[in-house]
Amino acid sequence: MGVLFSYFKSLIGAREMRILILGLDGAGKTTILYRLQVGEVVTTIPTIGFNVEQVTYKNLKFQVWDLGGQTSIRPYWRCYYSNTDAIIYVVDSADKERMGISKDELFHMLREEELADAILVVLANKQDIPGCMSLKEVHQALGLEALKNRTFQIFKTSATKGEGLDMAMEWLANALKNRK
Amino acid sequence: MTDSKYFTTTKKGEIFELKSELNSDKKEKKKEAVKKVIASMTVGKDVSALFPDVVNCMQTDNLELKKLVYLYLMNYAKSQPDMAIMAVNTFVKDLPTSQLVKDCEDPNPLIRALAVRTMGCIRVDKITEYLCEPLRKCLKDEDPYVRKTAAVCVAKLYDISSGLVEDQGFLEQLKELLSDSNPMVVANAVAALSEINESSPTGQPLVELSTSTINKLLTALNECTEWGQVFILDSLSNYTPRDEREAQSICERITPRLAHANAAVVLSAVKVLIKMMEILASDTEFCTTLSKKLAPPLVTLLSSEPEVQYVALRNINLIVQKKPDILKHEMKVFFVKYNDPIYVKLEKLDIMIRLASQANIAQVLSELKEYATEVDVDFVRKAVRAIGRCAIKVEPSAERCVSTLLDLIQTKVNYVVQEAIVVIKDIFRKYPNKYESIISTLCENLDTLDEPEARAIRVYFYCGFRLRDENAQVQLQLLTAVVKLFLKRPQHTQGLVQHVLSLATQDSDNPDLRDRGFIYWRLLSTDPAAAKEVVLADKPLISEETDLLEPTLLDELICHISSLASVYHKPPTAFVEGRSAGVRKTLPARQGSTEEVGVTAEATVIPNQDNLIGDLLSMDLGTTTPAVPAPVSAPTSNVDLLGGGLDVLLGGPDLGGNVAPSTTGLLGDIFGISSSPTMYTPPKTCWLPAEKGKGLEVYGTFSRRAGQISMDMTLTNKAMQAMAGFAIQFNKNSFGPDPRVSSRRSSTPAGPKSRVQPTA
Repeated sequence: MGVLFSYFKSLIGAREMRILILGLDGAGKTTILYRLQVGEVVTTIPTIGFNVEQVTYKNLKFQVWDLGGQTSIRPYWRCYYSNTDAIIYVVDSADKERMGISKDELFHMLREEELADAILVVLANKQDIPGCMSLKEVHQALGLEALKNRTFQIFKTSATKGEGLDMAMEWLANALKNRK
Repeated sequence: MTDSKYFTTTKKGEIFELKSELNSDKKEKKKEAVKKVIASMTVGKDVSALFPDVVNCMQTDNLELKKLVYLYLMNYAKSQPDMAIMAVNTFVKDLPTSQLVKDCEDPNPLIRALAVRTMGCIRVDKITEYLCEPLRKCLKDEDPYVRKTAAVCVAKLYDISSGLVEDQGFLEQLKELLSDSNPMVVANAVAALSEINESSPTGQPLVELSTSTINKLLTALNECTEWGQVFILDSLSNYTPRDEREAQSICERITPRLAHANAAVVLSAVKVLIKMMEILASDTEFCTTLSKKLAPPLVTLLSSEPEVQYVALRNINLIVQKKPDILKHEMKVFFVKYNDPIYVKLEKLDIMIRLASQANIAQVLSELKEYATEVDVDFVRKAVRAIGRCAIKVEPSAERCVSTLLDLIQTKVNYVVQEAIVVIKDIFRKYPNKYESIISTLCENLDTLDEPEARAIRVYFYCGFRLRDENAQVQLQLLTAVVKLFLKRPQHTQGLVQHVLSLATQDSDNPDLRDRGFIYWRLLSTDPAAAKEVVLADKPLISEETDLLEPTLLDELICHISSLASVYHKPPTAFVEGRSAGVRKTLPARQGSTEEVGVTAEATVIPNQDNLIGDLLSMDLGTTTPAVPAPVSAPTSNVDLLGGGLDVLLGGPDLGGNVAPSTTGLLGDIFGISSSPTMYTPPKTCWLPAEKGKGLEVYGTFSRRAGQISMDMTLTNKAMQAMAGFAIQFNKNSFGPDPRVSSRRSSTPAGPKSRVQPTA
């Protein structure tokens, strides 16, 4: 009986989860968004502004916001923080030079009060590129060990190849379910 | 307790409520919220604070919601230019640029068009560069509605950033759209192009129409909507055909538009036709039939509602001045109806006067007499004035006009009598010694006069003697009249003159009156003969039509028929602000005509003749001293070219090369001179355009005759008035012209539009 009830609840009553995909420009945010939505790799152009799509994963509905990562747009990320359930932070593992900037942006963002309860998923993207940083290296470069009081996990992915995304989404779905 | 509590409010306010509703999960609630925001915006509340939240609602499948958000965006993008960048991607998604996913480029052409339109309306510099790519794709969209909207968007983009449009090749794309299969697209592309041409910073049209595009436009003309037709016709009017044949074929294809129900289409077609007729020889049969075809549509315009009538009448007023023949048989339609609004009545009256000729004068006069008994004072005055103008214009009918005026005077209606007397004054001046017999009748009615102007005029023929209690204008007139009387009949009025002059000079506070009094006094006391010459001098001739527009202005206005300019009777530059001067439109030069119309003279209303002299003096004649040009190669002699200097240039008859010092110091003129002994004279250039010389145009050149430098000038009076008593003065200079004739005074007055050719 209880199982049946929760099943119905998940079917009809579930609130749409609000997820932000953030990260520096060219990290692969838009590719990831459409990989999640339609399961295909699409050619993208730099996002000036945002994309918002509805993604259904394991009976969970997500409203996924993919915000442009260019320097000029980053200040406007904060307009989207309220009511956010989770953040997917995408890092270009091959872009060693800008890892520091990426770290700064991440911690700057996490300081926001509105995001205090948000779950964080870090995706070390572009793992298919030879010579990229490993998961451990990315973890270190971003200084994730300093994170306290936050549910977070880091995954290595390749959006173009479709690797690692499923695992990350699985973990995120569970984390969101368990939170309640 | 601090005072900070006053600044923390517990009331969240409307904006806060809207904000939370906009961020709601439920789509219905969101839509309601956006509607509320738009409603507040429409009534003038500032909801710009909600910009990010509204923009976040942009990406939706709901057309209704999308339209509302776009509406908001157009309104507030300017106030939030930084944040507007967040909207860009949505446009990109709506438009077929995005190669993201197939369904991302919206399949609905309405949405695509809506996106382009909104994009064009967001006038924020920062984001224009992002919009080029979507726009380019839209110009090639498969849906005509999207293409048409994109064409208009190009014109809007040009207004924000002209360089961008030129760099991105949008102009070429627009030009391609001119041959689009869809007439609506063609019309909008034409509209966009002419808009761009008009605002081009150089004043030169950026895109010229060619014969082939004209043909395409003419084909599209028959198929597109009425407003599209207006656009096409307007741009056709800016096109100058290569030859008469082409002009003729354009005319033939446009003529059917004259039967259109929309007044704007008709007027635009008339404009094109009149312009084309300038090119065609006016005596051909084609032209005569064309003129005949022009009349009925113009007449038809007068059966619409009064507002349209007024616009039509203002335009007809121009047409009648340019081509009186077109409507000469249509006098009756300009007769005033009792229920016409006053503005239509006055305009009709104006046109009636212009059309009045010997053939229809009887009809016109009886109409005008009828009008003079109407109740509206302004209209009656104008009608009476019209009778006077008819008398002056149509000479054989003058007698009839005068008798009509006398009839009107008999009515003893105050303002009718006044106005009649005012116009009779003009008739006296035009036909001296012809109608003086009616003066006695006039005098009987003088007691009813109370209008200052009329009273001043009554003194003109009736010398009253009250000076003290009149107003200044009357006093001046009285003074002059008394002096005149004295000069004609000195024996009777000497005492009176002395009395009046002393009154004027001693008791009057009015400086004008005092000055004039002194002048007369001195004139009379020193040289009565000279006084006679001054005071009793001939009056300048009354011109038939005093309120004609100046020809250059008229030509320009003809090019603007069916626009606001033709209603105002002012060139667009006079009332449109914020545009660069733009291209001045002029009528094309008639082929084979000797008239030099090439100069785009700036049309100005010619001011009074009095201030002409001063302006002429400031004309830059310093150029009569040209800089010593580089020596001319002289094949017949071996003169040291550099050492030759002035002597070579001016003297040596053995020198084959002729020197023509150019006024503008153009070396090109000098080097272009052939070494043959035939006299070379550079063509006359414009030294003083008509608009700077208050109507006087000076063309001139320098040439050498018998070893002497001489200056040839053509002075053209383009003003409406006769021009007399002007002088040409040469500043002293080392080259001549001959100082013996350093100053020339013209002895004959130059009549309007006449030409003199002095040679110094």
